[in-house]
Amino acid sequence: MYLVSRRDGAGDEAGWFPYVLMAPALITLVVVALVPFLYTAYLSLHEMQYARVGNWAGFANYARLLTNARFWHSVGISAAFIAVAVPLEFGLGLLGALVLNQGVRCRSIIVPVLFVPSMMAPIVVAILWKIMLAGSWGLLSYNLLERFGILTGLSIFASPALALLALILIDVWQWTPFVMLALFAGLQSLPLMPYRAAAVDGATPLQTFRRLTLPLLAPLMAVIVLLRLIDAFKIFDTIFLLTAGGPGQATESLSLFTYKTVFDFWDLGTATATAVVIWVMFFLFSNAFYQVVKRKLRAF
Amino acid sequence: MPMSVRERAARRRQLLFTLLAAAGALAVVFPVLWMALMMFKPEAVMFARPPVWRFPPTLEHFDYVIEHGFVWNLLASLFVAVASTVLVVVVGTPAAYAFARFPIRRRDDLLLFVLATRMAPPVALVIPFYLIYARVGLLDTYVGLVVAYLSFNLSFYVWVLWSFCRELPVELEEAARADGYPRAHVLVRVVLPLLRPGIIATAVLCFIFAWNEFLYAFLLGGKTIETLPVAVPKLITSQGVKWGELSIVGIVALMPVLVVVFLLQRHIVRGLTMGAVKG
Amino acid sequence: MTTREMTGRVMLGLLMSLTATAPAAAWSYKEAAKPYAGQSITVLDEITPLQETMKTLVPDFVKETGIKVDYQLLNHFEVISKGQADMLSGRGAYDAVMVHSPQMGIVLQADVIRPIDDLLANKTLTNPELDLKDVIQPAWDSVAKFRGKTYGLLDWNYNVVYWARNDVLSHPDEKAAFKKRYNYDLAPAKTLQQMRDIAEFFTRKKGEKLGGETLESDFYGVVLEGIKGGTTFWTLWNAFIKNFGGDIFDRDGKPTIDRPENVAGVKLWAELWKFAPPGQAEYSLIDVPTVMGNGIAAQTLAWSDFVLGIDQPGKSKYAGKFVYAGSPANAKSPRTRSAETEPSIIVISKQSKRAEPTYLFLQWMVDKTTQKRFFETSKGAGVPIRESTWKQPELQQSRFAGLYEAMRDTLAHGRAKPKAPKIFEIMDVMSGIVQEIALGKKTAEQGLKEGQEKVMAICSKCTL
Repeated sequence: MYLVSRRDGAGDEAGWFPYVLMAPALITLVVVALVPFLYTAYLSLHEMQYARVGNWAGFANYARLLTNARFWHSVGISAAFIAVAVPLEFGLGLLGALVLNQGVRCRSIIVPVLFVPSMMAPIVVAILWKIMLAGSWGLLSYNLLERFGILTGLSIFASPALALLALILIDVWQWTPFVMLALFAGLQSLPLMPYRAAAVDGATPLQTFRRLTLPLLAPLMAVIVLLRLIDAFKIFDTIFLLTAGGPGQATESLSLFTYKTVFDFWDLGTATATAVVIWVMFFLFSNAFYQVVKRKLRAF
Repeated sequence: MPMSVRERAARRRQLLFTLLAAAGALAVVFPVLWMALMMFKPEAVMFARPPVWRFPPTLEHFDYVIEHGFVWNLLASLFVAVASTVLVVVVGTPAAYAFARFPIRRRDDLLLFVLATRMAPPVALVIPFYLIYARVGLLDTYVGLVVAYLSFNLSFYVWVLWSFCRELPVELEEAARADGYPRAHVLVRVVLPLLRPGIIATAVLCFIFAWNEFLYAFLLGGKTIETLPVAVPKLITSQGVKWGELSIVGIVALMPVLVVVFLLQRHIVRGLTMGAVKG
Repeated sequence: MTTREMTGRVMLGLLMSLTATAPAAAWSYKEAAKPYAGQSITVLDEITPLQETMKTLVPDFVKETGIKVDYQLLNHFEVISKGQADMLSGRGAYDAVMVHSPQMGIVLQADVIRPIDDLLANKTLTNPELDLKDVIQPAWDSVAKFRGKTYGLLDWNYNVVYWARNDVLSHPDEKAAFKKRYNYDLAPAKTLQQMRDIAEFFTRKKGEKLGGETLESDFYGVVLEGIKGGTTFWTLWNAFIKNFGGDIFDRDGKPTIDRPENVAGVKLWAELWKFAPPGQAEYSLIDVPTVMGNGIAAQTLAWSDFVLGIDQPGKSKYAGKFVYAGSPANAKSPRTRSAETEPSIIVISKQSKRAEPTYLFLQWMVDKTTQKRFFETSKGAGVPIRESTWKQPELQQSRFAGLYEAMRDTLAHGRAKPKAPKIFEIMDVMSGIVQEIALGKKTAEQGLKEGQEKVMAICSKCTL
C-alpha cells in the first residue's frame, strides 16, 4: 500500500526509442569488452608458445587447468575470502548508511572522511597496511599488539591463518565505505511519500525499516552485493604487495595464481583458459543470483 | 520556546549518532593520518621504536617527488580518469534509463551481458588486451587506456544507475507524457534532475576506479602515459623503500578524489529540511 | 721496359707498400657510428643507483656518435614483465632489453634475442681495445653463452656477500665468551657452520648484554631473505644447497630435488631461522639490508649493491661498523664452494632494426674507458664487471675496500642460473615449500620429496 509502483512506465508504443538509448552503451561494450574477451577465448583454444599463437588445441588448455590442483586451491581461497569479507562489508555498510541517514551533524565532513579508504588506490592501501602490520616493525603489530603481549614472536603476513584474515580485514576496511556511500545515496533517493504515510499510520521504526526501506532498497542492495562479490573475487593489488600469495600458497587467490601464470610462467594458454572458466562461473552465478532476486525479492 | 521531551530525545540521539560516526571515521582514517605524518618525517625517525609523534619536519620528500616528475603522473591520471568518467556517464545514463523504464526484449539477457563484461579477472585479460593494442597501435596512448577503462566502468555504471532509475517514481514521467511532451524531453527535463544524486554518486565511483587502477595502466601505458599508481613502484627501490615519498604520492592521489567527493556530496545528500528518510 | 719505367714502377710499389703499412686512423666510436648517426635507439635497463649513475654518462655517447639513445630505467618487476612482454609479443618497442640470468631460458626458447657474435667479429664496429678477456668470469660465460653463441655483454654483476656487525664480532667480552663456548676464535664466518654458531651465539633477548651494553630490544644472530618469491630460493640454492654438493638439476637437466646433499643444505638453512627475527618470512631482498641497517641482527647474506646504500652515514646508525667477506663455504665440502650471484646482460631484440647502433651503445657501456669513468663518477660505488676495475684507486682507497674484496671472492664462485624456460615456475613451487620447511611445517625430507614430485610434473628435462 505504501509501495510506489515500480513497474515499467510508458507502454508499448515506445518503439525504437529505448533501443536508441541503449545502443551507444551496447556497441561500446561489444567493441571494448566483448572483442578482447572473444580474442582471449580464441587464444585459449590454441597452443600458446609464449605470445605466439600455435596450433589448434581444442580444450587441452582447459583440461590442464581444471586438473591443476593449484587452480582449484586458488578458487577456494578466493571463495573463502568473499564469503567472509562481503557479508561483513555489507552489514557494516548498511549499518553505517542507516546511522548517517539519521541526520548526523557535520555530515558534510564525516562522510568524505569515512569514505577515504575506498578512495585510495589499492596499491597505496597495501603499502599503508604494510606499515601498520609488518612483522617486527609495523606500527600496529609491533608497537601496539606486541606491547600487550599479543602476537609476540609472530609475523602476521607470514602466518598462514593470520595472513588471510588480515587481508580480509584490510578489504573490509577499504570497501565498507563504498558500500556505505552507495546505500546512503540510495536511502537519500528514496521517495518520501510512503514514509510520511507510514508515520501517519504510526509505524515503528523497525516496521518502517522492514516493510518499507528494505524492499525499496532491495534492487540497489542486490546490485551492490553482486558487484562486491565479483570484485572481491578478483582482488589482486593488495595481496600481491603484502604476501605475494604466501606464506606457501595460503593467500594465493585466483588473481595471484593467474598473475603468476601470465607473468612468471608466461603460460598464456592456461591464463586465457582461466579467464574463460572464471567468466563462465560468474556468468552462471550471476544468472542464478539475478533470477532468485527477481523472483523472491521482486527487486529486478 | 523550550524543547519538548521528544525533541530533546531526538537531539540526544542525533548527538549520539554524530559521535558514533565521528569516532568511526577517526578510527577508520587513523592509518591514513599516520601516513600523512610520514610525509614530513625525516628518514632517521621514520620507523623509530617506539614511534615518534614529534619530530623536526622535513620537506626533502616533497623535493624528491617534484624532482622526479610525479606531477606529470598526477596530470596523466587526471586526464584518463576524467575522460573515461565523462564518456561513461554520457553513454551509460540513457542505457540505464532504458533498462529501467521500457519493456525491452531479452532485457534480462542484455543486462547480464552488460555485467558479464566485468566478470573475467583483469589479470587474465590484460595480455590479450596488450596483444590487440600492440597490433592496432594503441599501446601507450591516452585513447587506449581510456577505452580500456570503459570496459569495466561502463558496466558498473549502467548497473548501479539502473537500480537508481528503478527507485524513481513513475508518476512524474507519466504526467509529463500525458501533457504531450516527447520522450526525449521527459528524459532530459524530468528524469535527469531526479537522477542527479545517483549519477553523481556512481560517476564518482567510476572516477575512483579509473583513478586508482594499476594493472592496465601499467601494462598498456608506457613512457607517454604513466598514471599515479604506476609511479608508485618506482619508489620501491633497491636502496630501500622511500616511505616518505610513497606517503606523499598516496596522500596526493587521495586529494583530488577527496575534493570531488567533498564538493559533490551536497548533490547526493538531500537537505535536512526536505525530511531525511527515516528508516 | 725502360729503366725509367721500371724505376717508376718500383717507386710506385714502394709508395703503395708504405701507405699500406702506415697506421690506419685510430678506431673511434664516432667513426664507427658514422653510418648510423641520427638514428634513435631505445634501451630498457633496470633501475638501481648503478644505472642512475650510468644514465648521467649516456649523453657523452650521444654527443660523440650522434646516435640518440633513449635509456629507460624501470624497476625489477617492471623490467622483467614489460621487457619480456615487449619481446615475446613481437611488439619491439625496445631495441635492447636487460635480462637477468634466469630469464635467458625463456627468451632463448622463444627465440626473440639476437646473438652478437657477428657484431663482435665486425672490426669496423668493434673497439679493438674492448679486451673481453678482462671481463669477470665465470659470470659472463655462464650467462651470455649458449650453444657456441654469445648473446650479450656483461652489464651488471650483482653478487651476494657475507655482511656482519664488526663492533659486536670484535668485542673482547664477546670474543672471550665465544671461544669458551665453541672453542675457536670469533671472526667473520668463513664457513656456513661458523655462520650458524655465530648466529646461535648472538641471538639474545631484550635485557641481556651485547658488546658490553644492555639490549633494549631483542637481537638476532642472523637475518636472511624469507619471503616467498624474490631471491629467497636462489640464495638458498646457491649459497647452501650447492655448497653441500647438491643441485636442483643434474647434468642432463633432470630435477634432483630430493638428493641427500640438498636435504643437508636445506636443513642448515632452516636451522638458521631459529636465530632470525620473526618477521623474516616477510623479508625481501630490500628488507634484509634495511633490517641490518636498523641494527637488530649480527650477520646476513645480502646483495652487495644494496649494502653500498645502507652502510652510509645518515642511512644507518651503524654505518662504518660493518665487516664484509665472500659468501661462506661449507666446512664439510670446501671444493663445492658456491655463491649466489646474478650476472645480467642487455640483449638485442630480434625485432630491432637497429642492431648495429644498439651494439655500439652496449659496447660503449662496458668498455674500459666508460667503466673507469663510471667508477670515478660513482666514487667507487658499483659492482665491477672487469677484473681491471678492482685495481682502480677509487676502489682501493674507498672505505668499502673490504666489501670489494668480499665481492671478488663471491664472484669467483658464482655462476648464472641454468637456462631453463620453466625456472620461474620451479622456483615458485620450491620457494613456497622451503618457506614451509623453515617455518617448521614440514621436515626437509618431506618438503624436498614433495618438491621433486611437483617439479617433475613441470618438466622432466628442464634445461635447454
